[in-house]
Order: sequence, then structure tokens, then C-alpha cells
Amino acid sequence: MTTPSPAVRVTDLGVRYGTRVALHAVDFEVPRGQFVALTGPNGSGKTTLIRSLLGFLTPDAGTVELFGTPVGRLSIRERARQVAWVPQEEVLRDDVPLRQYVLYGRYPHHHPLDRETEADHALASRILQEVGLADRADDGILSISGGERQRAILARALAQETPLLLLDEPTSHLDIAHQLDLLTRVRMLSRLRGVTVVAALHDLNLAARYADRIVVLSRGRRVADGTPRDVLSEDLLARVWGVAAELAIDARSGLPYLLPRSLITETRPAPSALAPGPVHVVGGGGAGAPILRALTEEGYRVTAGALHLLDTDAETADSLGVVAAVEAPFAPLSPDTRARHRVLLGEARAIIVAPFAVGPSNLANLEDLLPFARATPVIVLEPSPGTRLDFSEGAATRARDDLRSAGATFVADVPAAVREVARVLAGTLRESTTLPAQG
Amino acid sequence: MAPPWGRWVLGILLVVGGGLLIVFSALLGAVDIPVRLGLQILLNEISGGRLFPQSCAGTGTSAARCPVYTFIVWNLYLPEVLLALIVGAALGLAGGSLQGVFRNPLADPFLLGISSGGTLGAAIFYVYRVGVANADLYLPVFAFVGAVSTGLLILAVARGRYSSVETLLLTGVALANLLSAILSLVLLYNPTGSEQVTFWLLGGLGLADWQVDGIAFGTVLALGTLLCLYGRELNLLQLGSDVAQSAGVDAAAVRLRVILLASLITAVAVAFTGIIGFVGLVSPHIVRRIAGTDYRIVIPGSAAIGALFLLSARDISYLAFPGSLLPLGIFTAFAGVPFFLYLLYRQRRSAPMGGP
Repeated sequence: MTTPSPAVRVTDLGVRYGTRVALHAVDFEVPRGQFVALTGPNGSGKTTLIRSLLGFLTPDAGTVELFGTPVGRLSIRERARQVAWVPQEEVLRDDVPLRQYVLYGRYPHHHPLDRETEADHALASRILQEVGLADRADDGILSISGGERQRAILARALAQETPLLLLDEPTSHLDIAHQLDLLTRVRMLSRLRGVTVVAALHDLNLAARYADRIVVLSRGRRVADGTPRDVLSEDLLARVWGVAAELAIDARSGLPYLLPRSLITETRPAPSALAPGPVHVVGGGGAGAPILRALTEEGYRVTAGALHLLDTDAETADSLGVVAAVEAPFAPLSPDTRARHRVLLGEARAIIVAPFAVGPSNLANLEDLLPFARATPVIVLEPSPGTRLDFSEGAATRARDDLRSAGATFVADVPAAVREVARVLAGTLRESTTLPAQG
Repeated sequence: MAPPWGRWVLGILLVVGGGLLIVFSALLGAVDIPVRLGLQILLNEISGGRLFPQSCAGTGTSAARCPVYTFIVWNLYLPEVLLALIVGAALGLAGGSLQGVFRNPLADPFLLGISSGGTLGAAIFYVYRVGVANADLYLPVFAFVGAVSTGLLILAVARGRYSSVETLLLTGVALANLLSAILSLVLLYNPTGSEQVTFWLLGGLGLADWQVDGIAFGTVLALGTLLCLYGRELNLLQLGSDVAQSAGVDAAAVRLRVILLASLITAVAVAFTGIIGFVGLVSPHIVRRIAGTDYRIVIPGSAAIGALFLLSARDISYLAFPGSLLPLGIFTAFAGVPFFLYLLYRQRRSAPMGGP
């Protein structure tokens, strides 16, 4: 016996709008009964993929099959019996009673001269009940709230009684309560009736919470696909969205969720294409903040690390758009954070060490820095006299001595540090302008 | 939202009010007809002479004048009344369905230039016909060609991605002006035809007779029935082409067919009565106000309201200016333009309207 064909099978799909590639070589299969969330940044191709599944677009390459039949081979009416669509919003102009509006969904099941039957009316009543609008059946669709209207649109789509339901950002105009309400209902209906659901959702956390599977699109390509647990990662958010985020596991549901922290500067307008840098600042506890501000002001590209979340330096870095390796509050630096810090240190053209207090939780900052001190100019700010910085039983003092012997420059204040950076980078800038650019 | 009993109100209004208006109108015209005499003539003619063997008996009308009155009521007034009803219905049908297709309450065959296209077609036929034997057949054909090509042009414009109400209406206005410029040019070089053509420009019931009524009735009935079948599709089109298509409506095909049918039915109206504006604009609004926005009701309802609207225009003409029938376009414009401005003003204040 052969297995039933999947609800959706997309093979090597390519769609172009003029010269812009909207989808490129997308392969994508949805088994019957699955709830798939389609996600990705704006313009990643989610809506294009949904519209391809609806047969609204003629692909430039590849095929789209619904339940084993190419979508282009289905008539519009047949298609409407296979797949229903909940758009982001509907421009509704006429104040149609809700029941009538839901009955519109029966159209593909009728012949041109048929009237709605008792069975249609019973179905409409049942669906209105399922979406929680039974008591509004006789109200006009323009008189209900936005959240109710989105449920009404869902009801109209459900009235088509299709085995496949497509939702295109169905929650983007809803408040959080209505978002949860709508997606809970969709998932429940999917479970109860075995309806296959493909929903474009730009909110990753919502996607993780409701979908069996998450498919991530980026610039028209499928870049990740799997269970929420497999797909959600800080790396994904950084790569695809350009956002620094933290991944956590919700203790209650056991599902992963992402806490976005800052935009990664790649997407920000750089001070200039030739902006010197990056200059890396090692700090903490607010000691690095004046340096970060001064360097940003001067137009350098600046990075920072490893900082603790909620600490003044981390907040400053965030607000200035400075890329930073960040650790959870008060925790010792994890191997992961240290690795990210080392990447930033390795990219730096100059490193400034702020006069920051060093304890066991951040001693690793200085330890990680040392290997780079031989290749990269390091500028160390002296603490103001009488300030105690070493809370690490001498380890921090030893590390500073090691820096001195590795050739680090010691300066007294922030302006002096900035002048030193300018001097050091002027040399490297001349070098880099005379050298051919490297791939 | 219209009240749920609105459909019954509309139905009763049409049957009772419409019936009374038709009888009243049949006795109204250039010559005064006593009510009892007129009714007897009507009943006698309808019953084939069985009810009142002597139509004029007991009305104080001499037997010699009886055939004259009978001729006036039966062969002048009644055809005029029926043509007003048929053409009004045609314009109402065209307006109701065009408003549905364009998702735009300001659509109207006159405002969109479809009537002007029909008129140009008719005028060209009048001016250039050279020895055509069957004028009654060819005139509507020319009007059809003019109206339908204008309708398709409007469709092409309306399907543009960024078309708005303004684009659509301005395109219609521009087209109407272009068509009338061409018409002027045609008439300038062919002054002999201008008299007949003027009749089309003003719009009137002057061609009414039983034969014209028969042709008009047959075509309007056929085209109107077809238009009424698209009510369900038009309902779904109001949600936008994509949503309609996702629900199984072939939006492009429906749009093309409905515009084609609406242009054809406009052409019938233009061929027999010339340009009469605003009937198609006003009628659907009245229906929607009373009976809701279901196009399965709006389209036939607009036919009924349009019929009574145009008939009222005829009656008002006779009542206000006794003795002769003025061009009806004048009266429909008096009623329609303020209504149009009101709609425009109301629309400006509320949500903007999208293209189809």
C-alpha cells in the first residue's frame, strides 16, 4: 500500500517579481495534519510561498502539489475545496451579517443556481460557535472588534471545509490576547479535524508555541526547518534577523523562546564605509561607558565585551549600537560568551581596557585578552588613584602586569586613550589603503 | 446595516407602489385622459375587449373620439411607460452590477463613459449608414460596439495595480469627453445627421412603440437574468479578488463577463433612449439602504427601483411641463447629481475605497 501523498509538496520552487528573486529553489513538504509555521524576516518570501500554494502565482521554476495534484491543474473551484486562506486582513466595506459572511465560504461547494441549504446554515452555526462568535451571528461584520473580525475571517475559511488551511500573518493586527486566542483555536481545530495548517508568522515565539514544525525563510531560501526546539537558536536570530537575542526554555511549557536584545550593527548605517576600527573595549560595571561614548562619537566602529546584562556598560553598548558579547546577569562568563568575546577581540584593530573592577566572574576577560595583546595594540586606562579594582586575590593585578610586558600602552584618562587609538589606527589605516583589499 | 425585514419592505413597496405608479403613468401624457376613461381603455385592451366592449361607455366621450383616446392610451402612453420601465431597469441593472464589479459605489454606466461610447456608436451608424436595409437591427449593434469597447477600456484601467475611485471616475470622465469630442467632429462633417443624434445626447422616450418595447424587453430580460446569476460571485468579489479566488470565484472571468453584460445592457438602453444618467448610480443605493448589501438582492432590486425611478422622471416631466415630454436626462440629473455629490462627500470622510 502506498502512503498518502503529503498535503503540500513544493519542489525546487522559484518565483521572481521582475528581476527580484522572491523564492529560490525552495523544497518544502508538509505531511497531512501537521501545523507548520512559516517564518522569516520581512521580505523573506513567506507571503510569496503562501500565494504559490494558493495557486495565485505562476512559478518561474519548480512545482507545487496539493495532496498529490499540481495546483495549476486544479480549477479555481476545485482548489477552493482543497485549500482555504486566512489573509492578513480583509478590506471589508459592506456591513454583511456574520452568518451571511461565513456562508460565503460555502461557494465552492455549490452549483451556480443553488441556494444555501439547511446543512450550510447548520455548518455556519457550528463554525461560528467554534470560533466563539455564536452570539454575534446576526451582527454586521463592520460592527465587531478587530479580534472578532479575524476570527470571522477564520470562520469563513473554515466553512470551505478544506483539508488544508493557509494563514498569512493572521495575528499581525491583533493584541497579544487575541493572538493567543486565534492561534489556540486554529491549533485545536487542526488537531480535532486533522486539518493541515501552514501559517506565516513573523513572531518566532508564537510560532514555537503553536507549531509542530518551524520553517525559516531568508531572502527567498529555506534556511532552517525542524521542531521549535531544533530550529530556535541565538545563532538563527543573529544570522537571519540580524538581532542579538537570548534563548531560554520556558519552564512551564518546556518550549524554547527568544528574548531579543539588540540589533546587530551590520544592519545599522555604519559611520562611513572607511570608518576605522573596530576598536574593542573590555570593561564592565560602567567603567567602559565613557570610552564607548567617546569612541562612537569619534566615528569609530566599536565592539565591547564581555559584559553582563543589565550592567551600565552593557546598556550603554546597547543604546549606542555597539556589538557586545553579553552574559546573563551576575553569572560567571560561560565558555560560549567567552568564545564570542574572543571573536570580537580577534577582529579588533585596537583594544582598550577600561579601569573596571575584576572579580572571579569576569577575570576571564583579562585572561582571554592576553593572547591578542601581542598582535593588536592594547591601551590600558589607569584607575584613578586610590581605587581598588582587584577583587580576584591578585589575579587581576598579575594580568595587568602581563599586559604591560606584552607591550600595552598605559594612559591616564579617556581623552588620552582616544588620542592613542587615533595614533595607532592612523598607521593601520595607511597600511590598509595601500594594500589591495583582501577577499 | 439594513434591517432584516428590509427585503419585505422593498418587495411590498415595489409591488403596491409600482403597480399604482404604472397605472397612474399610463393615464398621464401630453393630452389629459379622464381617469375612468383611461382605466376602461386599459382594461378593455388588456382583456382583449371582453371586460368593456365599449371602452368609452359611461365616460361622456363620444363614440367618434373613442378610437383616438384608445390610440393615445394604448399606442402612445403605454409604450412610453413600458419603455421607461425597461430602460430604467436596464440602467439599474448596469449600475448595480458595475458597482459590484468595481467595488465602488460611484460606478454608473453614464459616469464611466459607457453610455457615451454607445451614443458614439449609434451616431456613427446614423451618419454613415449608406443604404443599409435593416436600420432597427444595425443601430443597436453599433451602440453595442461603442458601449462594450468603452466598458473593456474601463476594465483595463480599473485592473491597474494602483487604480482608485478617483482614477476610475476620472478615466470615465476623460473618456466621455474624448468620445463627445469625436462625436462633435463626426457631426461637424456630417450636419445632416445631427438632428437625430441630438436626441441621443439628451435622452428620451420618443422612439417608444410596441415593436421597440418588444425588442428592448426581450434583450433586457435576457441580459438582466444573466446578470442576476452573478449575485453570489459579486458578493465574494467585495472581499477582494484574492479572497474571492481563494473561495472559488474565478475573479477575472466574472469581472469580464459582468462588465460585458452591463455594457450590453447599457447599449440597449442607449440604442432606444439615448443617454440617461444617474439611474444606475442612485438605484443600487436605495436598494442597499432598504434591503442590505447582498448582491443577489441588489441587482434585481436595482432593476425594479431603476424602472420606477425613470418612470417617475417621465411623470414629473409631464406634471411640471404639461403638454410635451422633455428629455429625461435633465430630470435624472436633477435628482442624481446632488445624490452623487452627497456620496462623494460621505466617502471622502469615511474609509478610502480601493480598486477592484
